Amino acid sequence: MARNLNPFFVANLVISTILVLFILIPLVSLFLYTNPDTLRELFTGYTASEVLNAFETTFKASLLSTLLLLAFGLPLAYTLARHSFPGKKVLESIIDIPFVLPHTVAGVAILTGFGSRSIFGEPLERIGLVVQDSFWGIVAAMMFVSAPVLIDSAKVAFQSIDPELEEVARCLGASPVRVFATITLPLALRGIVAGTILAWARALSEVGAILVVAYYPKTINVLVLEYLNVYGLSYAIALSTILTLVSIALFTALRMVLGGGS
Amino acid sequence: MIVENLRVRRGSFVLYVPRLEVGRGECLVVLGPSGAGKTTLLKSLAGLLRVESGRILIDGMDVSRLPPEQRGFAYVPQSYALFPHMKVWDNIAYGLRARGMDRARIEEKVRSVAKVLGIEDLLDRYPHQLSAGQRQRVAIARAIVVEPRVLLLDEPLANIDPSMRSRARNFLRSLLTKLDVAVVYATHSLVDAVSMGDRIAYVVDGKLAFLGNVEQFLSTDYAKPYLEEIEIVAKYLRTRT
Repeated sequence: MARNLNPFFVANLVISTILVLFILIPLVSLFLYTNPDTLRELFTGYTASEVLNAFETTFKASLLSTLLLLAFGLPLAYTLARHSFPGKKVLESIIDIPFVLPHTVAGVAILTGFGSRSIFGEPLERIGLVVQDSFWGIVAAMMFVSAPVLIDSAKVAFQSIDPELEEVARCLGASPVRVFATITLPLALRGIVAGTILAWARALSEVGAILVVAYYPKTINVLVLEYLNVYGLSYAIALSTILTLVSIALFTALRMVLGGGS
Repeated sequence: MIVENLRVRRGSFVLYVPRLEVGRGECLVVLGPSGAGKTTLLKSLAGLLRVESGRILIDGMDVSRLPPEQRGFAYVPQSYALFPHMKVWDNIAYGLRARGMDRARIEEKVRSVAKVLGIEDLLDRYPHQLSAGQRQRVAIARAIVVEPRVLLLDEPLANIDPSMRSRARNFLRSLLTKLDVAVVYATHSLVDAVSMGDRIAYVVDGKLAFLGNVEQFLSTDYAKPYLEEIEIVAKYLRTRT
């Protein structure tokens, strides 16, 4: 114990505490400053259906965007982890662009690329995939900003597996698909689950790109902004508190179920 | 198995083998220093590396363009590459399941090969619960249970503790003599080469420099780097005769 109390350790402890408090204080304040009457009013007054619809839209869109990312992102992550090809570095840089792009800019880019007057937007609209002010626009915005999170996590998970395991499995008579299903995927699962949870969290918290692409149907984050502007901080706090509680509960449950209780 | 004019390129490294032959029940040792191309040769034979030119004939059929799962070669890498998320039983059964064998037959074959290799009491363990020697036996059991046409062993004794290596070597030698399969055994150790091989293929800088029996090899200049080992080899040969 005495050995731990050296000046370096104490300095680290103090600096770390400041950062932890910086994260905790706003979160705790949300709960402390939530007015129970406002909270009740949100779910019983004229705002009730709007709030419930916003929650439904947010969770449905974030879940769908994460599932779509899994379906398209895992093959891409595996390809990047296992194969070398010309332009690979460029491709990896492209995938990481949403990390560095301001989210309102991401929204403008999505509208430009998939909006009704764009080259790709018109054929998409013909099959019912309207982006502007629609549920699919929210899904697109969420996918765009959370794609690098899932792809990079899955890529690292695949890279961590010794390729000789896959090679031996092939020599034992397993097809590439069987090797992926029985060796690669089970061994990379923990990393993929972690990436999926983070990608979902990223999608759930998105607001900037959604504001530009699809203000309607309103997500809960858009509603928080709107209530802040229209009704003041009290309503925004109440909504934010619920979103925080639901998010923490969901992510904890998901982590426990998918991560084997750890 | 007959290998003809095999050329494999890995970056700037080129492996070229004009001709190699290994018969059923024979063990050909590929000897050479680190980086000589031993693993490249084994992986090329297994179908894990693309062959630039040349042929790999099995019973007259060229398999050099077939994917690994269709060649019928079993490959045991230096690391053994046991599947860490599977118990020993499932590791051994993996290739049999991939072939769609029924459960009763798999059970019978796994038990049988486990008995041959003396690992019956390890079947419920995970690879991380095994010693290096036990892992080696499991890897070999997993490879031979599928009755491969060619068994490719890459430095199978390299990870064994030196104090246990002699015992492991003797066990492996007696096992290989019982198997009716063509074996290609890569090693950098002359002791291992002499213990295991019927013939030696000496590879250096990607080229097949020598092909012949042990006695012939020892009289060449290629044997000079192994002077330290030669005394041990001589002792071994005396005990064998």
